[in-house]
Amino acid sequence: MRSFILLLIPAFILAVSFTILYPNFAERTLNLAVQPDVYNLAPDVQEKLTKEFFDRWQKDYGLTSEWSIKPTAGLPTKEEGVYQIKGRYITSAKINQISQENQGLVWESKNKLEPTFIENLIKGGKSLSIKLGLDLQGGMRVVLKGDFDDYAKKLRDIYSREIADQNAILIDVKKSEEDKKKASARLAEIDSNFELSPMRKLVELEKAKMIIDNRLTSQNLTEPQVRIQKEQDAIEVSLPGVTNSAAILEILQNTETVEYRIEEPSPYALRSRIEESEKRWMDLGKREETDIFKFQEIVKNKLGKKVQDAFIESLEKKYNIPPEYKIFAYWRRGESAKSALLPRSFAVLERKISLSGNDMTNAQPSFNSNSYGWMVSFTLTPNGAEKFFDLTSQNRGRNLSIVWGDKVVSNPVINDPIAGGRAEISGSFSQEEAIRLANVISEGALPIPLSVLEMRFIGPTLGIESIEVGIRAVVIGFFLVMIYMILYYRLGGLIADVSLLANIIILAALLTLMDFTLTLPGFAGVILTVGMAVDANVIIYERIREEIEVGRPLSIAVTQGFENAFWTIMDANLTTLIAGILMIRLGNGPIKGFAITLCWGIVTTLFTSLFLSRMFVELLVNRTGVKHLNLRPFFFGKTVVTHV
Amino acid sequence: MFNLNYTKYKGITLTLSFVTILLGFIITFTKFGGFAHSLDFDGGLRSVVELPIGKSRTDLESFFKRSDIEAVVILLEKEKNIYQMDIGLGSIDKIEGLYKAIPDSEREAGTSSIDKFVITLRREFQLPKEKILSADQVGAVVGGELTSTGITLLLTTLGIILLYLSYRSQFKFALASAIALVHDILFTLAMIGFFQIKPSVPIIAALLTLLGYSINDKIVVFDRIRENSHGKDNLSLSNIINVSISQTLGRTINTSLTTLISVVAILVGGAVELYDFAIVLIFGVVVGTYSSIFIAAPISEIYDNLRRKRKLA
Repeated sequence: MRSFILLLIPAFILAVSFTILYPNFAERTLNLAVQPDVYNLAPDVQEKLTKEFFDRWQKDYGLTSEWSIKPTAGLPTKEEGVYQIKGRYITSAKINQISQENQGLVWESKNKLEPTFIENLIKGGKSLSIKLGLDLQGGMRVVLKGDFDDYAKKLRDIYSREIADQNAILIDVKKSEEDKKKASARLAEIDSNFELSPMRKLVELEKAKMIIDNRLTSQNLTEPQVRIQKEQDAIEVSLPGVTNSAAILEILQNTETVEYRIEEPSPYALRSRIEESEKRWMDLGKREETDIFKFQEIVKNKLGKKVQDAFIESLEKKYNIPPEYKIFAYWRRGESAKSALLPRSFAVLERKISLSGNDMTNAQPSFNSNSYGWMVSFTLTPNGAEKFFDLTSQNRGRNLSIVWGDKVVSNPVINDPIAGGRAEISGSFSQEEAIRLANVISEGALPIPLSVLEMRFIGPTLGIESIEVGIRAVVIGFFLVMIYMILYYRLGGLIADVSLLANIIILAALLTLMDFTLTLPGFAGVILTVGMAVDANVIIYERIREEIEVGRPLSIAVTQGFENAFWTIMDANLTTLIAGILMIRLGNGPIKGFAITLCWGIVTTLFTSLFLSRMFVELLVNRTGVKHLNLRPFFFGKTVVTHV
Repeated sequence: MFNLNYTKYKGITLTLSFVTILLGFIITFTKFGGFAHSLDFDGGLRSVVELPIGKSRTDLESFFKRSDIEAVVILLEKEKNIYQMDIGLGSIDKIEGLYKAIPDSEREAGTSSIDKFVITLRREFQLPKEKILSADQVGAVVGGELTSTGITLLLTTLGIILLYLSYRSQFKFALASAIALVHDILFTLAMIGFFQIKPSVPIIAALLTLLGYSINDKIVVFDRIRENSHGKDNLSLSNIINVSISQTLGRTINTSLTTLISVVAILVGGAVELYDFAIVLIFGVVVGTYSSIFIAAPISEIYDNLRRKRKLA
């Protein structure tokens, strides 16, 4: 009875796997969005656009495919604003191709593939289909240009204090000639730091490339192709299976940094200038005239970073802030913990960056049970720890602000010098914000802001014939292996094949859940995972056969065979798993993508060979009354087993 | 199945492996000046062209294949028949060769590789100048950091495997497995250099697969050796090794064969882009299996002999 109940476990797992794979084959609905401007065009232009669209549609999908489109001519009503396309196998490559060919008509970033009920259930509406790699179906390509002017500006911020000091020495009549010479030498040295040689630019681009690589992999956007275009100071990113450029650009262009800056010393003379003016407006009952209100409006209306920066600069002029200081907004939540994170007051901080994100690593978000909020703890690099100690011992009693992007998120007082390489940031973060902040610290900030130079969709890197031939080869190889197993182990081989199929189905479902991207080599790699699974079965049957040939009764031979094989299989797979986990932790780009498949493949292999296979064999022997299990191949004679 | 004295040949096999690896690397670096250049590792040239109606991707690909040029072709715009092609840095001498074959009268000013490539391409496909939409250089996909990451990765992996296997079985087996793994990687790298296989992202995947496969193979053999040597301290290790190898030989052959079947299918199936990948894998499987029997096992025996001698002395 027990084994029948046990049978429910794999049955359940397989059922779940099939459910996860279902959206790949389901009929789906695509809402192809229409550019809002199109409705403002003259009727004859509209007609021309839609006619071209439907001509292409007829040519590409009208005759052969099973896709239907609504409305079948003209523009959809302005309220709907979408063409509704229904059919199976609507892939991102197809959607991209339609968008690209009808650029005047289709609003690419608003296209939406309606999620199936399964996707709503499991992933909250996010896609659950297997993504194909750049080689198999192409994807989106973005060329991002490094903005080195902005980079130089940031550099100046770091050195601003020192430049001011050295300049002061130059003017100071009391200083000796030698001091002045030293100062001007130092100034020249600092100046040379601002000079961006091609070599220097390349180094920064390399850093940015690494960071983008890591960001994409941590977002499960595996198998990207990131390369540097030296002549254009640009980075080219190609991503497979992307249908919405807006979300991707946000990930790529995010230049958020985390840095520490010291607040102006008490009694906060500069800040009180702002506060007095704000108070005056408040007393008059004109809240909308206060600067913080104006700034909040800019943020709420999403006018962009440029407008924000300009506003802050105008404030600096208005309140006559000296150049070594800079105004920042302090972002907090309102009274209730659920209110939005918004700028709620201003702070005047040193322009000099005391500790930058490069000095921090390895950040983790954690829940702070004392304040019921999320915080982020991180490790400092050896160099950073030293800086941090100096900073905290020299500035006791002053406020040390943590600036995330251009927001002050936390502003604690320095009570004691902080030694040891660990520190934490506790603001009133939500979980999501804490994770994002931790990612910014761990992955490092982009050293240079990036602007979009070109964006387009690209076709697959392999020709359609190569793809078909390659996939066919892999599938044929798989079936040959299955046939071999049956020829060699007969009934045992059949069971091994069933557990192999289960292995592949569960693995495919797992990889789908994890947004895995399938490339042709990756596909071949999965087949090699199957090789390891075959190996596990081979080890088991060889062991069982040995037991049978010693003369043990079948049911004991089976149990003994599995027991003997258990640790061998465990050891072999666990060591490979260790190697795989190391690859995920240390590797990047292609290594990481490969390692993820490998690790999950090992997990499913262990399950199917040690659990599923065993259950089938035991069921066969103990329940159905199979008395004789012939594990000898059709094409070999009787084998001789040696004993020590 | 085959009761041979496997450890008897250890002198031959160890020397053979060592010499082959050494020779492979020497030839790679003296004759070829290092590993082959490739698009993924070194970048190359990129050109975007509008092909005349009737010409397609197949024509481009067969031209590159015919001329032995490493190229990746991408369809950019289907309607206008616009293609982008990236040419590996290692294929520039091939382009020089094609360019030299063009009669003087048809050559144009411009001596850079990009110009030569564009002129060759225009001649081959009868393209007017305005159909060449752009010609530029293209950067590498895999940066220089890969070598250092790769070495750190390999060393850390070896360290952890050493620890795990020492804990699970015995140090001599762990050590022998680690050495054999290094052997497999070096052997395959030497071959990649010797045959000037262009290193690419799929080749990295193949190397990693081979690593996993090889670990697996070694452990299966050593597990049997450990099991057989239980309570048989008086028996010589070489005896136990020979028996264990013959006991696991059926499994070894089966596993290697089934793995090889699926890889050979890729090779025979004819996906040109996967040729190198498949060849490295086939080679890796063979070397991985060979080294379990002829490298790892004898090394553990040698180590064991040394230990015993020291104890006696």
